[in-house]
Amino acid sequence: MIGNDVVDIIQSRKESNWQRRGFLNKLFTTEEQHLITNHLNNEIMVWRLWSMKEAAYKIYNRQTKIRAFIPMQLLCHIEGCYGTVTCNGHIYYTETYIDTDKIYTVATVNKRSLNDVREVEYATIVKDSNDHPFIYNSQKQIFQPVSVTHHGRYSKIAALQL
Amino acid sequence: MDKQELINKLKVIIKPYTTNTEAYDNLTEETDFIKDLNINSANLVDIVLDIEEQFNIVIENAEMERMLDVKTAIEIIEPKLSV
Repeated sequence: MIGNDVVDIIQSRKESNWQRRGFLNKLFTTEEQHLITNHLNNEIMVWRLWSMKEAAYKIYNRQTKIRAFIPMQLLCHIEGCYGTVTCNGHIYYTETYIDTDKIYTVATVNKRSLNDVREVEYATIVKDSNDHPFIYNSQKQIFQPVSVTHHGRYSKIAALQL
Repeated sequence: MDKQELINKLKVIIKPYTTNTEAYDNLTEETDFIKDLNINSANLVDIVLDIEEQFNIVIENAEMERMLDVKTAIEIIEPKLSV
């Protein structure tokens, strides 16, 4: 299982005001808000945590078929560029890449699988009845689950190497 | 406030976050904020905050979790207005 999420920082400034009253309270737990407040760059931490939650949610949604807006149930812990997101007994492992104006997180169900995450460059995406994306792997002749994300100037497709 | 009036007010709130104008123009109770209107999930929280401010109500987390379409949003807002 694979999840990914990209945040274009420039785009996020046009779309969101994270300093708006109530914004952080509705999306982040007290612990997560401490991480934001104590980070040198508050804005980067806001979107880093958000991209972790989004990437993990994509797997959660695929596993459980539960569709809901549950940022407060997706609990982030971070260790350097790695992290975990727990949600109702599920655990997801994340790796986040931070550039000056882009934050990208990939999530998997095993820590080891983070090494197997590959970016897919050109592919035709097909969706199943649950709206979950797949690509056709012609070598193995199977439909392979992928995660798709786009925001502002960036767009990424991630898959696990088979 | 009747339901149509409520939908109209909600429509004004969600407009700035909508990128699919065709789906917006044809909005019904069945319209899904993310799938149909293409609203960025981070903006769902803005919609919830705008609703709280404009209707002067409080949306609980458990309610926000379900608020993915017009119908559910109306179901959550409406009883809070009548008290």
